[in-house]
Amino acid sequence: MSSSQMVTLTTSDNVDIQVERAVAERSILIKNLLEDLGGESGEAIPIPNVNESVMKKVLEWCEQHKKDPPATADDDSDSRKKSTDIDDWDQKFMQVDQEMLFEIILAANYLDIKALLDVGCKTVANMIKGKSPDEIRKTFNIQNDFTPEEEDQIRRENEWAEE
Amino acid sequence: MARPRRGHRLSVGSNSSSTSTSPERGIIDDDNDSFMMQQNDSQSSLAPSVPDEAADSAAREIEERCRVSPVCRLPAELMIAIFSKLSSPTDLRSCMLVSRDWARNSVGLLWHRPQTNNWPAIHNVANAIRRKQRYFDYPGLVKRLNMSSLGNQISDGTLLQFSDCKRVERLTLTNCNKLSDLSLTQMITGNRFLLALDVTGLESITDKTMLAVADNCPRLQGLNVTNCKKVSDDSLEAVAKNCRHVKRLKFNGCTQLTDKSILTFATTCPHILEIDLHDCRLLEDESVTALLSLGRHLRELRLAHCTRITDAAFLNLPQDTTYEALRILDLTDCGELQDAGVQKIVAAAPRLRNLVLAKCRQLTDRAVFAITRLGKNLHYIHLGHCSRITDAGVSALVKLCNRIRYIDLACCSNLTDSSVQQLATLPKLKRIGLVKCAQITDRSILALAKLKSPGHGGPLSPSCLERVHLSYCTQLTLNGIIALLNNCPRLTHLSLTGVQAFLREDLIVFCREAPQEFNDHQREVFCVFSGSGVNRLRTYLNEETRAHPFGHPHQQQLPGAFNVDGTVDADMDPDPSQQDVDGGDAGPAGQTALYDDGGNDADDEAGLMDVGAVLDPASASAPATFGGHAAAAMQFLQHLANQQQSQSQSQPHPAGDVAGMGFHAHPPMTQPSQQQPEQQPGLQQMTDSFDATFIDAMDEDMDHV
Repeated sequence: MSSSQMVTLTTSDNVDIQVERAVAERSILIKNLLEDLGGESGEAIPIPNVNESVMKKVLEWCEQHKKDPPATADDDSDSRKKSTDIDDWDQKFMQVDQEMLFEIILAANYLDIKALLDVGCKTVANMIKGKSPDEIRKTFNIQNDFTPEEEDQIRRENEWAEE
Repeated sequence: MARPRRGHRLSVGSNSSSTSTSPERGIIDDDNDSFMMQQNDSQSSLAPSVPDEAADSAAREIEERCRVSPVCRLPAELMIAIFSKLSSPTDLRSCMLVSRDWARNSVGLLWHRPQTNNWPAIHNVANAIRRKQRYFDYPGLVKRLNMSSLGNQISDGTLLQFSDCKRVERLTLTNCNKLSDLSLTQMITGNRFLLALDVTGLESITDKTMLAVADNCPRLQGLNVTNCKKVSDDSLEAVAKNCRHVKRLKFNGCTQLTDKSILTFATTCPHILEIDLHDCRLLEDESVTALLSLGRHLRELRLAHCTRITDAAFLNLPQDTTYEALRILDLTDCGELQDAGVQKIVAAAPRLRNLVLAKCRQLTDRAVFAITRLGKNLHYIHLGHCSRITDAGVSALVKLCNRIRYIDLACCSNLTDSSVQQLATLPKLKRIGLVKCAQITDRSILALAKLKSPGHGGPLSPSCLERVHLSYCTQLTLNGIIALLNNCPRLTHLSLTGVQAFLREDLIVFCREAPQEFNDHQREVFCVFSGSGVNRLRTYLNEETRAHPFGHPHQQQLPGAFNVDGTVDADMDPDPSQQDVDGGDAGPAGQTALYDDGGNDADDEAGLMDVGAVLDPASASAPATFGGHAAAAMQFLQHLANQQQSQSQSQPHPAGDVAGMGFHAHPPMTQPSQQQPEQQPGLQQMTDSFDATFIDAMDEDMDHV
């Protein structure tokens, strides 16, 4: 199996994208699909949940990280680590509008790219950190659907939660 | 209107299928909606029967919401994944107050481990738990409860407020020693989810609590009943029979335990990975044999101070069977153990990585020769107080076990510089303990400081030593230590308690605080540099050497200050603990030490060269054993020492002040007699404390002296 072997991915909006197999295999979903197909078919792989623009963005990340050590089963402990440090390249990569940010997260989840999902979640977490509830609502354009009584009750019941 | 979860399902399509498999989901697994005491989950129960039109309009509504607020696209599991990156409870609380949706997805994380480390928090948490009209079912969300920060302030009444939390998985009550069976049994009864219970130091709990564990907690995996002295075989046998998944057991100091309960654990709990029986002094050979021969997964066995254990515990193991899982064996103070026992241990557990034989005083070099069979597997060896060991044993150990990272040889008083010069060649050595190896001199330290060549003839690289314990190595001087500091860039711990040359006021400022459990006397002689203190000491000594290459300003300008060799001028009263040093120990010991320390200058120089030549063939081609700056520092220091030497010989010295701060073998002669008994226990305690600490934290800071 040569490392520069190419595979074709068909996005939800029916665009074929050619990509180096090693890059595409950052996605465990695609890796498993390719293994199931035996690796030789040359058939396009349908990715029905990700459109072209998001897929290209995700593959850009995969290209950058293709040499990272592969995720192992017990990487769980790592993702549970509460650090929200993100390396510089990833931070820049994640400077996109919210629509794209959440699409990347959804795609990373669907495609099973743990490290990208992790970076996405950390990016959102960093947008939350240190903000008041109202500031969070403004940041994400969320409507407050609590009644004043409910809001007051939750505030009281969770008063203990401080640094 | 709010369309919380239903909306997500509609909007995210196939993504929702993975919802139930997310690990984070487990936090609020089986019945997410049941947290809602409020009515708003009725919407989701309506959804399946809603006609298509309504569903379409709902879908449009969701579509519109997602357009306005893209974050709404994320399903609950991804929101939880995001919230799980928030380490601050304040941030999680803010998330709870954003919207109903966000509240539902963050509450499980916030309440997973509620804050119970201060009284206002405990009261607030307890109030929320006990409210009838609470917004969420908080008691069912609490998975970890840890009361140990408030320790002895926690009463039964406090803990009882949490007894509705029946899904607690980890209950940690370390040193909450006011607690009794009353609250413990209530907490435990009805909780089928308990995985780990830590009741360390709850001296009043009895078999009642342990029987409640046996009756209620079939999933239990970890049990720490350290120092619960009232717990007996009766209840622990029941635990052994009912909690068959136990993996980690700590029965330290449960002095009533005998083979009866431990044999039951050995026979009924096949998954034990670690068992700590520190100080279970009634334990006999049979249970040790059973734990080893039946526990095929046993990884860690600690039997410190189980003084009845003999060689038979190991000699009775079946012939030709090996226990490949066993990595850690602690036999501290199993004083009956002899060389034959160690030989069998090594044959039966060939993959031992950590072997602790401290205070197994009967062991000789023969045991050490057996240990060499562990070869590269051995990373960690403690032979402190095995005082019969000689340089021959250490030499063999170094040759065959060259991956040793940690070695402790405290009080192995036969050992000479030859041993340490061998040990210095271990390429991975990170920690070395030589406390009270009183024969060793600066030659040992210079060997440790020497650059190593990892491959034969390869490039020289600095030592990887991180922790060096040299307390009470009374012959040491600044010379060796400066070289050590300058050639061990990773050094983070250097203990020199009781080493005369370092009990200087200008150096003591870089020492760290004595551990809390130390008494006043121990604090006074405490001399440990750690972390940034090591760096500051290094910088200070180098600067001092640079600034005053040919003498020490204190000597000329500051009457009464400490001299550079650690002596104290007579009119200076440094601190009460040292008065006995000033006043006492005027005997020949002081004189001897004085001359020994200084020695013959020429000899010392030659010694330096010898060390380099003998130990490192590679250095023959590179005569400068110590790199540029360090070499300069060494020269200055040597010069300084020479000058000091000539001065101290020509001036009458305050008697005995070079003789090791009163730790010398010779008793003080002019000292009021009550000082002496105070010192000896101090020393003993310190040694004991060092051992105890070591047991507690194998990979932590092991040596406080």
